[in-house]
Amino acid sequence: MSGFRILNAGIFATIQDRGRYGYTHLGVCHSGAMDEYAYLWGQMLLNNHTQNSIELMTGLKLQATAPIQIAITGANLSFKINGISKPIWQTHQIYNGDILSFEKQLSGQRAYLCVQDGFILEKKYGSYATTLKEGLGIKLCRGDFLACISSSSSHKYRVKNSEIPNYQKPLILRVLLSYQEAFFSPKMKEKFFDSSYEITLQSDRMGYRLQGQAITPNKTDIISEGIAFGSIQIPQDGQPIVLLKERQTIGGYPKIGTVLPIDCYKLAQANIGSKIKFEVINIAVAQKKLQDFNRYFRAYLI
Amino acid sequence: MTLEISSVDSIIIYFEASISPKILNQVQRAYKLLKPIEGIIDLTPSYNSLLIEYDIMLYDYQTIQKKIKEILTQHSKTQSNISNENKLIKIPTHYNTILGIDLERVAKINNLSIDEVIELHSQTIYRVYAIGFMVGFAYLATVPQQIITSRLATPRAKVPKGSVAIAEYQTAIYPQDSAGGWNIIGHTEFDDFESFEVGDSVQFMRLR
Repeated sequence: MSGFRILNAGIFATIQDRGRYGYTHLGVCHSGAMDEYAYLWGQMLLNNHTQNSIELMTGLKLQATAPIQIAITGANLSFKINGISKPIWQTHQIYNGDILSFEKQLSGQRAYLCVQDGFILEKKYGSYATTLKEGLGIKLCRGDFLACISSSSSHKYRVKNSEIPNYQKPLILRVLLSYQEAFFSPKMKEKFFDSSYEITLQSDRMGYRLQGQAITPNKTDIISEGIAFGSIQIPQDGQPIVLLKERQTIGGYPKIGTVLPIDCYKLAQANIGSKIKFEVINIAVAQKKLQDFNRYFRAYLI
Repeated sequence: MTLEISSVDSIIIYFEASISPKILNQVQRAYKLLKPIEGIIDLTPSYNSLLIEYDIMLYDYQTIQKKIKEILTQHSKTQSNISNENKLIKIPTHYNTILGIDLERVAKINNLSIDEVIELHSQTIYRVYAIGFMVGFAYLATVPQQIITSRLATPRAKVPKGSVAIAEYQTAIYPQDSAGGWNIIGHTEFDDFESFEVGDSVQFMRLR
């Protein structure tokens, strides 16, 4: 059977696609790739119309059982084939017996391993995405086997250097003021946009907890309501939490606004301990930015 | 009813800011009317709001707002038939200070004995106002005035599955281990979380 055997799952590796839509009324969260920019580039490099990927952190090691076309994008985790360093943000032809490894975190948090035509798996609620707390999808374990078709190509495709993000760059997240923004005085907003916040260790696929100047709303509890991607929740301790792919569908903490999705993808690659800042964006510009992103990947937005 | 922009590709409708079966029915009605509309990706109903996520390649923020308003006002004239059938779910609950690690604090904050908190909590019949936060997490309301308690200032990293908890006027059962900021007052072995539907009645049965 063609595919990959997992020799070592590393810190955390799951199957992800663009997410699970249409079930938030049941409390089923969107989930999906934390960095859609890297994920979609992986699919575009392979011209994939059946899509999923392994979203991985360091330590993953896997062995191919057939010739397979792959693409690696996202974080630079010192990708090697049979112990030899290989470039990422491009396709590679893998052969039977090849060992792929991601040993050391050099830049970014999450890499994407995509294979020609995707891994052969079953969708649940219309998606391959993994959400551990919901028991959906797959978290890779040593010994697992992931099947995919055998594929070969004499061509290599790579992403232009100018399109490859630099994850070390200082990050400014664009924010649409919304939801309970009126709970925050002009002075509080000023404090929020003037401060820089550190990404804490308590950051994961659900959300990124930040630490810095505490900001306090003039009301603390709200009636629980639906939470959009990128919502900036302010709990009573005043430390913002940016809610990402595995966010809860409903919550009752005040929200000052929402981070633009394309900036959330960058946040998902930022180092723990690094500092970020916020900046206001208006709805017209925000929609234009997201529409441009969607047009760029138009054929691959499945 | 007001429409507000919540994010680059979502709109939130707010109904009157109160928790009542009447408002619950309005939210459900809007949910049902908007469900079949093309380009609406997700609808998340809650107590007095409805989050609408839409495809921004089909609508910009102005056209979607116009469309939603049209649909909701058009149908406000016609009689809606929302069924009010709902079941009563009973939840056997262990109330004690070992599993209910916040029980003592909830009593203290509200100047009640632990026993009074338990009696008040278990003698009320609640309704499911929303399902969310995680799969099978049913938001139950309304908690008796005397035991209304604010959320924790900092959410806990882990709350065990089966925890029965209070946040403000709401009570709920954690269907999975999860992060959470609610006050835990007891524990249940109940495990049929998928049976919850918005509108159902729920009562906690005190185990001795």
